[in-house]
Amino acid sequence: MKGRVQFLIAPLGLLILAAFPWLGAPIYFTSLIYSVFLYVTLASSWNIIGGFCGYLSFGHVAFFGLGAYTTAMLANAFSLGAAGTLLSSIPAGLAAGLIALVVGYPSLRLRGPYFAVITLCFAFVVELAVKNLDFLGGADGLWLKEMPLPIGAARAVLYEAMLLLALMVIGLAAYIQSSRFGAGLRAIKADEEVAQSVGINAPDLKIKAFVLSAVFQGMAGGLNAYYLSYIHTDIVFEVNVSILMVLMALFGGGSRWLGPVLGAVILSLVNEALSTFLAAELARIIYGLLFIGVILYLPDGLLAWWEERRWAREAAGPDGG
Amino acid sequence: MNAVLIIQALMSGVVMGSVYALLGVGFSLVWGVMGVIHISHPAFGLLAAYLAYALLKGLGLDPVLSLLVSAPGLFLLGIVLYRLLIRPITRARETIVASMILTFGLAIIMENLIHLIWSPDPRLMNVAYSARVFLVGPFILQLTHLIAFGLSLLGVAGLHLFLHHTLTGKAVRAAWQQPEAAQIHGVNLARISGLTFGLALATAALGGVALAFLYTFEPHAHNLWLIYLFLVVIVGGVGNLVGTALAGVLIGLITGLSLAFLPYQWVNLLTFGLLMLVLLVRPQGLFGQGD
Amino acid sequence: MKRWFLVAMALAVVLAAQPALSAQPLIIGGSLPLTGQFAETAVWIERGMKFWAEEVNAQGGILGRPVEFKIYDDQSSAQKAVTFAEKAITVDKVDLLFGGYPGTAARAVMPVAEKYKMVYVSMGGHMKSFEQGYTYSFGGPPLMGEWWYHGLSDWLASMPEDQKPKRAAVYTMNNPIGVSLMDSILALKKVGIEIVINEKYNLPLPDANPLVLKAKQMNCDILFSNGFFADGVQTIKASKALGYLPKVIVQGIGSVIPAWVKELGKDGDYVVSGTPIFNKLKYEGNDKLNKYVKDKFNLPAYPLYFGFGYQWMWTLAQGVEGAGGVDQTKIRDWLKSNTIKSLVGPLTFDQRGLPKPYNFLTQLINGQVEIIWPKENRTAEPVYPRPAWGQ
Repeated sequence: MKGRVQFLIAPLGLLILAAFPWLGAPIYFTSLIYSVFLYVTLASSWNIIGGFCGYLSFGHVAFFGLGAYTTAMLANAFSLGAAGTLLSSIPAGLAAGLIALVVGYPSLRLRGPYFAVITLCFAFVVELAVKNLDFLGGADGLWLKEMPLPIGAARAVLYEAMLLLALMVIGLAAYIQSSRFGAGLRAIKADEEVAQSVGINAPDLKIKAFVLSAVFQGMAGGLNAYYLSYIHTDIVFEVNVSILMVLMALFGGGSRWLGPVLGAVILSLVNEALSTFLAAELARIIYGLLFIGVILYLPDGLLAWWEERRWAREAAGPDGG
Repeated sequence: MNAVLIIQALMSGVVMGSVYALLGVGFSLVWGVMGVIHISHPAFGLLAAYLAYALLKGLGLDPVLSLLVSAPGLFLLGIVLYRLLIRPITRARETIVASMILTFGLAIIMENLIHLIWSPDPRLMNVAYSARVFLVGPFILQLTHLIAFGLSLLGVAGLHLFLHHTLTGKAVRAAWQQPEAAQIHGVNLARISGLTFGLALATAALGGVALAFLYTFEPHAHNLWLIYLFLVVIVGGVGNLVGTALAGVLIGLITGLSLAFLPYQWVNLLTFGLLMLVLLVRPQGLFGQGD
Repeated sequence: MKRWFLVAMALAVVLAAQPALSAQPLIIGGSLPLTGQFAETAVWIERGMKFWAEEVNAQGGILGRPVEFKIYDDQSSAQKAVTFAEKAITVDKVDLLFGGYPGTAARAVMPVAEKYKMVYVSMGGHMKSFEQGYTYSFGGPPLMGEWWYHGLSDWLASMPEDQKPKRAAVYTMNNPIGVSLMDSILALKKVGIEIVINEKYNLPLPDANPLVLKAKQMNCDILFSNGFFADGVQTIKASKALGYLPKVIVQGIGSVIPAWVKELGKDGDYVVSGTPIFNKLKYEGNDKLNKYVKDKFNLPAYPLYFGFGYQWMWTLAQGVEGAGGVDQTKIRDWLKSNTIKSLVGPLTFDQRGLPKPYNFLTQLINGQVEIIWPKENRTAEPVYPRPAWGQ
């Protein structure tokens, strides 16, 4: 009986989520949940190379921004309509993936902090390059033609698109987690030399993970460009976004696909709630305290703590002893 | 491009780089010794800068002298913070990750506390000698630059001497290189770590004041400084203090040179781009020991 | 018996009508970067708005309704500014929209205001943002980079030939404002000034010394420091230290914040800049604001962003009063077909939501902003060329 109910919860929940924009709530909530989906996508896709494989990229926003600019340029160059602009997020993702391929090969040879810094540098280099190139809008940014729909419908469309993207990433992450690919990534994370010695082709797996993670960043960037209808390097290459997606994924717990989802949802909503109900600086201070508080008590992230509790309960047995 | 301009640009670049190096050595030390990435390190430096400003405006105290208050103050604060916040997370499976999350939160808190106390108005450390210069041939040496450079030498050399020529310092190095062996020989790891953390924050105080001699600052400034910290530490090799110092100088030289030769809008890009190349060619940093 | 009944009925009617008589507040909502990179100016905008609200409420509100704000902190993120604008509009159901600072955020909020058909009075995002076809956005007044040095060429042209600066070093920050500032500079060529150096730099500026040195070495007698506060200060400090004394230093938007005078003191004097709002004009409101700021914040006169906050609200209010209500389209149409009062005199908006191009050329003299052009608004004689440093 319990199993059957559990089976229904997920699809039912999804149905409600998908139908939400039409349930009559103010459009702001559609936008808010859209941005939650956005961060779920960013954190989850980052996690493929970050939490699963242990290569903490601090420059992933570069792919997000590249996706945004690709979509904006395509939409403007070909005067794309709504469908076209939405679909242009796919080449945006591919472009990001391509650049990830080029940058990934040399960068993934580095480990730990060195990899983190080189990705950080990469993000700055890309941002500065775009800012300096006038044909890309340069320091002025780019405008996109807005969706020719009433605002409610326009937001709903992007909501669904981002929901779809988030589900795709989550699906991919879940699949990877339980596949040989994922096992390989985990092995690399635990000890790369040992992994190599048992025949795992680490460079191959790493580059695949890196490229995959970048593709979804690019696609998210493309959709978000349409959402904003004005992009600028300061907005789409913001270093804060890089850091935030890392923290969200690790806060929730990087070794499972659910971690980034939890981290993104919780941190986004808490940030919004704090800013809504408290004075500006106070909200930020409490937000900071949240990070400290959680890590002090749950140093391995939310999921790890939850799982330990579950194991402890299970070990204790149904009768408590 | 004439030689005077180039050399002048190099000189101020070196000063800039040395100051980032100063801010970076404490950051590097903590990372190397206890595997903690202290994201709020520059925020504490910023706090020292604000303290120096407040004492300057309120009591007319010279910013360098203010360090007599802020450096020991931050040292003690560091020890307390270590006990309260850092030690608990060293039991995490991945201390590096936990430390980043925790100190990220701490940085936000520091920024907004500074915001509340001092308002978001940007500040400038304007001392009586702000415009004093020395003429050495065709070259102009600014006194504030010399002071900042001097602080950097003091901080980096001081830390280096401490680590290599004092008993406590050697204990720190021992704890870092061979924790188990050190413990067996009676080194109290927790105490040593606390001391290290405190010392790192004390050098952050020097770094913050030195930076304040060169730039204006506001509550958000620690974010900008953090990026340079990462660069300086990585290029220099994590935990390698001399390497960090040299990396700072290198970054300063690159910036200075590019300012001398390139259109200025490409300067930052070149600096980061070159550093990327350095990392690709020599991943453990220019002066790191290799993994 | 009947009389008591009538009195009771009358009382009942009066009591029932009470909620309608006590007016519903007029809610004005949006976001400002109250924390983060742009907090400093946002705080002044908020202060200006709040002062306006106090004053308006003391006089009975707008159309009998007291005004209330719903101000969100967008943490200096344009993405958040967009969501908070939507929140204000769709959740708080505000009567009037404001917010979005700086220019990048305003650019992002403009399409939102357009989609929701909400009148949006802000600093705008410079000329390009007003060429996107939005009808509901107003620069009331705008902070228009393209107009910033309005009058500079005229002032320079009015000088005798042998006193005019001849060689310009132009350093501009690489962002939307910087790009817009460049517009007015190209006009210099018509005045016979050669642009010897024309470079852009990305923020944060690592070092101003090479820039100043280069300008000095190439004998540039007019320096453009088209930047914000931090890089502007660096440029001034470097100029003083390196002994560079051009005939005039032109500053972008760094010198408009109170910190410029407060932190630089005498060294900050004599920079030429621009302003779309000026606290010594003879128009209604300026004295009032100056007095308030002097009493409350101990400043000689109100800063630009305080004036902006106040004026944007005043513009909105006149639109509401003119349209007789909060119907956004009516307000928009009224604003586009009527002249409004402002701190800078009467303003009329064109189809794009902009007033006629104007800006005041300013010079900081003894820590006070003075207008040096147009001549009819001049409040002090320009100090030209710059006196030596330390004087």
